[in-house]
Amino acid sequence: MKFTTQLAVGTALSLLASAALAYDADWKRGRVYYRSVCTSCHAVQPVGTINPSSKTKAEWAAYLKADKHAKGKDTVKQYVSKAYRASIKSGNKAAEKFATVPDQELLDDVAAFLTKGAKDGDAPASCN
Amino acid sequence: MKHALTRAALLLCSAGWLVTAGPVLAEETQPEPKPLKLTTTADHTKFKQLQKAFNSGPEVTKACLECHTEAAGQIHRTKHWKWEYLNPETKQTLGKKTIVNNFCISIASNYASCTACHVGYGWKDANFDFKSEENVDCLACHDTTGNYKKPPGFAGNPVVKDTEFPPGSGKIIKGVDLTKIAQKVGKSSRDTCGACHFNGGGGDGVKHGDMDSSLAAPTKDIDVHMDAEGLDFTCATCHKTSSHDVAGSRYTPTAKDAKGAHVRGKPDNGNPATCVACHGNGPHKKEARLNQHATKIACQTCHIPTYARGGIATKMTWDWSTAGQRDAEGKHITKKDAKGRTVYESRKGDFTLAENVKPEYAWFNGNVQYTLLADKIEKSEQRTQINKMGGSPTDGKSMIWPMKVFRGSQPYDPVNKTLITPHTAGNDDTGFWKNLDWDKAIPVGMKDSGAPYSGKFDFIKTEMSWPITHMVAAKDKALGCAECHSKQSRLAGIQGIYIPVRDNNKLLDTVGWAIVFLTLLGVFGHGALRIVTARRH
Amino acid sequence: MSERIYVFKRFERFWHWSQAGLIMFLMLTAFDIHGTYTIFGFEKAVAYHTIAAWSLIGLWVFAIFWHFTTGEWKQYIPTTEKVVAMANYYLFGIFRNAPHPFRLTQLRKHNPLQRLAYLAILICVGPLIWVTGVLYLFYDQWAAWGLGNLSLEWVANGHIAGAFMMLAFLIAHVYLTTAGHTPMAHIKAMITGWEEVD
Repeated sequence: MKFTTQLAVGTALSLLASAALAYDADWKRGRVYYRSVCTSCHAVQPVGTINPSSKTKAEWAAYLKADKHAKGKDTVKQYVSKAYRASIKSGNKAAEKFATVPDQELLDDVAAFLTKGAKDGDAPASCN
Repeated sequence: MKHALTRAALLLCSAGWLVTAGPVLAEETQPEPKPLKLTTTADHTKFKQLQKAFNSGPEVTKACLECHTEAAGQIHRTKHWKWEYLNPETKQTLGKKTIVNNFCISIASNYASCTACHVGYGWKDANFDFKSEENVDCLACHDTTGNYKKPPGFAGNPVVKDTEFPPGSGKIIKGVDLTKIAQKVGKSSRDTCGACHFNGGGGDGVKHGDMDSSLAAPTKDIDVHMDAEGLDFTCATCHKTSSHDVAGSRYTPTAKDAKGAHVRGKPDNGNPATCVACHGNGPHKKEARLNQHATKIACQTCHIPTYARGGIATKMTWDWSTAGQRDAEGKHITKKDAKGRTVYESRKGDFTLAENVKPEYAWFNGNVQYTLLADKIEKSEQRTQINKMGGSPTDGKSMIWPMKVFRGSQPYDPVNKTLITPHTAGNDDTGFWKNLDWDKAIPVGMKDSGAPYSGKFDFIKTEMSWPITHMVAAKDKALGCAECHSKQSRLAGIQGIYIPVRDNNKLLDTVGWAIVFLTLLGVFGHGALRIVTARRH
Repeated sequence: MSERIYVFKRFERFWHWSQAGLIMFLMLTAFDIHGTYTIFGFEKAVAYHTIAAWSLIGLWVFAIFWHFTTGEWKQYIPTTEKVVAMANYYLFGIFRNAPHPFRLTQLRKHNPLQRLAYLAILICVGPLIWVTGVLYLFYDQWAAWGLGNLSLEWVANGHIAGAFMMLAFLIAHVYLTTAGHTPMAHIKAMITGWEEVD
């Protein structure tokens, strides 16, 4: 139950909470989205890699709760939104595949993957 | 993702129905429907049997068996459980229990470590009870959380409380929450199969070359079928399983499948894991000539241009004869190459690794003859074949297959002329990986195997072939013609077949060009004479 | 005084030049496939070679029809008359500015050596190339055609041998077009249809 709680802390507060309560996050879908969308920019170039295992569970939870991307220039959840997916789907298969997934579900999925892959998570993950 | 899509579709449909049926209820005003699981008919979190703390694997299994009464019995019939397989053609008794390879060599006397990958609990020595139902491990294949782990050294048991291992080492293995895992069970996945099959040979990608952790969520470049953003096949999509018996075999592979695509109800549906089982025998629609190629060439030969494509190196050689070196302080040594890959370990010897490897090719008819512990072997220039792949251009059953050929040097008994099964893993005085002493390790291992040991050992060069069948590339990445139809043909070593260009007749070329050259010479001579004589007149 | 004879009719000229073009393209792709050099590469060269081969077969269907309906096929009936004289001319006479021993007419537009050479191409090299070429193309049908025992190696080598012979013929043929009463006379005739005769 630990990580579900953290999910709630990390994400539910910032978004509509109704779906999150019943939704059973799919870390595998989060993994695919993280690896092909987040990692497409967070590579060595142009902005440096960020592995799930580069933060602890608590750090990820705080990061998602703050919802500040690029030091506050924009939000994290924007990059998981349907609008963002629609904007990149011509060049990104994961965005295309998950085009219709509700924002909150996908954010939960990514959060579940990050929590699981965090430095102190159940399966610390790096991306290669 | 499927359930979300379907849910969206359901919502749309029902909204449409409401519009046509009468009073319109705006979608937003409806209460959010509870997410319906569409991939299963049972939400295991709701089962009373699973709402408790579990302190061991068998406790979980007992809970599973309360409903799934036949499951353990089904598992008992499989290779995954028995680690034993009688090859009906060669009559050899195979399976991990008996075969010897040139990686970690053998499980005999090393059970507690090796059986981390057994679908059971507690196989710690040769006396394991293969009739026990509660020792069947359901979670190894049915975990969906990715958190279920069976560390080597625990005889296939998961660790439920944080444990220092090996004792006194200061390394802590984190305990796993069996309750959470049990409540989330589901279908097998690339992650569950991969937990063992990606790590064959003792590490990620070591053994197979065409299977490593890059296949857990691969891109289309790595595998066109398993592409996580595309077709997203699991292992079981091809290795179609019934009664818990997973289709497909490395002991009796289907080298040539002429039976066509599987159709429901067709009585002679064979191995469902072949390419043909879905694609049929004439899959090339545009280029019929390629279907002709496919009568002699396995699909894999062209469609898997290289293996170990996912960024994880596979071991190509392993020399046990150099194992055992210590540094000045008497400690174990580890050497790494420029890429940070381990190329020497005192425990294991020298390795070479490679990525993006072009396979070797061979005629293969599906017959595999193993060199077992009882078989006599002779040290010579020729490598001893751990598994001899049958095949010839003329037997009508063979196809040209891509292979990873793994070459090594491993201990053998020069007096009895047999392979040797040393005791390697184990936190005891005789385990080679602890004390680096063959003279202690070999007698223990051979005794456990029930095999005679002369007391003398030497090293013998061996090779083992692994047909390549995973990491299928997209069709535009398949081999081009010139990869084989050239003088530097990939199939240079393949006998018994005429390959245009590779097999150009030298004599014919010489004679042909000579005729052309002489004609040119005649023409130029004649022409020159005409010019000279024309001037004179 | 020279007179002009209309020797090559419009279709004949079309046939000749399109055939010439196709054969040269077939040669080009053939030795690309054979690995002698790489212009298109094996895969594309095979595709182009196949298309050109089918085009040439199509052209031949028309040409054969034309030869039979016009009776022009008779131009290829071999004769021994003046063969020695022709050989003597090419070997000696041509250097001494001797008169051409053969006087061409509309009914006899090929000299006796030409007749023999073309006939040899027609009944030896041609069939060798066509039979082996079509077999090569339909390699996958051999079993269905009852030819399961045929050796691909022999078929391939036959095709390659034919290619060398065609290349040698092509070289000699092109050269001998300059052996008219002026070097360009035969070539002009094949373009305009009219040959000047002494």
